[in-house]
Amino acid sequence: MSRIFKYSFIFIWSAFVLTPLSWALVTSFKPPAAVNNGATFIPWLQFQPTLDGWKDITGISGYANLFPPLINSATVTFFATLVSLTFGCMAAYGLSRFSYGWKHYKNPDIIFFFISQRIMPPAVLAVPFFILLKTLHLLDTKLGLVLVLTSGLMPIVVWLLVDFFNQLPKEIDEMAMLEGCNPFEAFVRTILPLSKPGLTVAGMFSIIFGWNDLFFALVLTFTNVQTLPVAVVALNGTVTPFWTLCASAIFSILPLIGLAFVVERFLSKGGFAGAVR
Amino acid sequence: MAKITFTDIGQTYDKDPNQETWALKPMSMTLESGRSYALVGPSGCGKTTILNIISGIINPFQGKVFLDENDVTKLPTAKRNVALVFQFPTIYKSMTVEQNLAFPLVCRKWEPAKIKQRVGDIAEQIGISHKLNRSASKLGADEKQLISLGRGLVRDDVTALLMDEPLTVIDPQLKFELRKKIKQIIEGKDITVVYVTHDQYEAMTFADELLVMSLGKLVQRGTPEDLFERPNSKYVGNFIGSPAMNFFKAEVVDGFAQIGDYRLNTAVNLKKLSDRYLEFGIRPEHVRVQGGPGDNVLTVDFIGFDDLGSTRVLNCLFAGELIKVKVPRSFEMPEQGLIDIKLPKDNLLAYRDGLQVL
Ligand SMILES: Nc1ncnc2c1ncn2[C@@H]1O[C@H](COP(=O)(O)OP(=O)(O)OP(=O)(O)O)[C@@H](O)[C@H]1O
Ligand SMILES: [Mg+2]
Repeated sequence: MSRIFKYSFIFIWSAFVLTPLSWALVTSFKPPAAVNNGATFIPWLQFQPTLDGWKDITGISGYANLFPPLINSATVTFFATLVSLTFGCMAAYGLSRFSYGWKHYKNPDIIFFFISQRIMPPAVLAVPFFILLKTLHLLDTKLGLVLVLTSGLMPIVVWLLVDFFNQLPKEIDEMAMLEGCNPFEAFVRTILPLSKPGLTVAGMFSIIFGWNDLFFALVLTFTNVQTLPVAVVALNGTVTPFWTLCASAIFSILPLIGLAFVVERFLSKGGFAGAVR
Repeated sequence: MAKITFTDIGQTYDKDPNQETWALKPMSMTLESGRSYALVGPSGCGKTTILNIISGIINPFQGKVFLDENDVTKLPTAKRNVALVFQFPTIYKSMTVEQNLAFPLVCRKWEPAKIKQRVGDIAEQIGISHKLNRSASKLGADEKQLISLGRGLVRDDVTALLMDEPLTVIDPQLKFELRKKIKQIIEGKDITVVYVTHDQYEAMTFADELLVMSLGKLVQRGTPEDLFERPNSKYVGNFIGSPAMNFFKAEVVDGFAQIGDYRLNTAVNLKKLSDRYLEFGIRPEHVRVQGGPGDNVLTVDFIGFDDLGSTRVLNCLFAGELIKVKVPRSFEMPEQGLIDIKLPKDNLLAYRDGLQVL
């Protein structure tokens, strides 16, 4: 009984999630007639699929080319994630193992301070960041965008990793320090090798949030650096046909879908917590 | 090897000014170089806290720690060069057995060739030479503990070896083997060992000297014989020995302990004392079943016995007090009912407010 319930739930949920996606996927291969003369669903049966939509966004037809924005997005996301993970994991380790404080503010308050950066609506930060980057001459540069994105990704990384490190027994690094490591060596040599699952999850979240950022890219970059979400939105603003829009939507989520498959394998292999004892 | 000295060390985790609540009440002690010590006491009495203060994992709230003549109170763990085996096997899961054993030496930047040789030697001693290339996470709990120990011994210059209940997570069948093995490995070495356990037999087999703790205080230290023959408090009398020491209350009359109609001679000169009542204690091992009346002989009601395997314990009632008598298995059990038991004078100790009267 509970089995039937479980499977029907999964079925309904998948339908809920997959229908819009598959609708977009199918539409991206439609010729104009298949869209304009009433709804069609099944390729080859109801219409002859074409690649016109895809040619429009890959520069083949000369309409638009989403590859440069893709590369921009990938570069910016990669470096923002790299910086967030590198510094975030050190911050998280420190917050997990040592106590800091000023007056009655202690580690939990510092962690809350980190996460509060995410609670703030990005719109609040738009003007300050704009002025900041303008002063530094970093408007419309990848570096500027990386810095701004990092400020949003780091809190997620720290928050996730503090929790992860808290689950690793502190005896491991205490032992390493007893055996002659300084705290940094203890972290790098004994804790990091055990942290692949945690780093993977934190990295994945960081990539997803970085990849999907539209707001800051829209405000802080103009012509030199156009990221994928900005480019897709720009297509929307012109008289782009439906099939091309659908192709652009699918195009922009393909890399994340690929990532999901890679990471999924990684996670189930490592096991998440309890990697010790 | 080093001498470990505590001067006025106290520890509180919540910085409560009331010392009575401290995890470790201020104490001073010296652990001599090259000797092995066992710290025993019930859960939460501060055993781990003491080890952590020696190793530097925690900084004491007050007082100083010395290794030999050096004040190491503020010295980071890495500089103290102490070896520690935790209650739960602590191994670096991402490494092989060999890398685990080599880790402390790699940290010390030894040459690879020297490391390899040293690791080989130690692996031989702890008997896992054939598993050097295995992933350390694949080993059993007992082997993991041996590796923890090996990582401690691989440094030839450790100041002290600390073990925090290393056998707790080991299966009972393996416990005995592993205990023997650890003892063998340590025995040949001139090493200062502090071994924490709440098992008194483990403590006695391991250590030259026992330190009995209770509620953050050191209650008594001494050889197993000291603790057994001359417990300085009712606490030690109850904690060490199985079954616990017999205690009963008696009136002090004319230098004798008067209980019911009987007058007993004791190891203490009671004439000097002004107490009207005292408690008296005697080990069940020292009480003897006697054929007939005599000095220090009581007639008691024998109500049954507990079988401990190699020994048996007779439960006897006298004036409402339970007195236990430990006899070898070969001892022929009397009928239930009245029997005579002798409480030898020299083994009958006096206690006031839980502390021994000398
Ligand atoms: N990090 C800590 N924070 C707060 N209190 C602590 C901490 N470590 C230990 N304590 C407290 O200090 C007291 C002594 O603890 P300790 O771990 O030294 O006991 P123990 O003798 O090792 O006990 P066990 O046999 O259970 O290991 C206990 O009351 C414990 O609750
Ligand atoms: Mg403990």
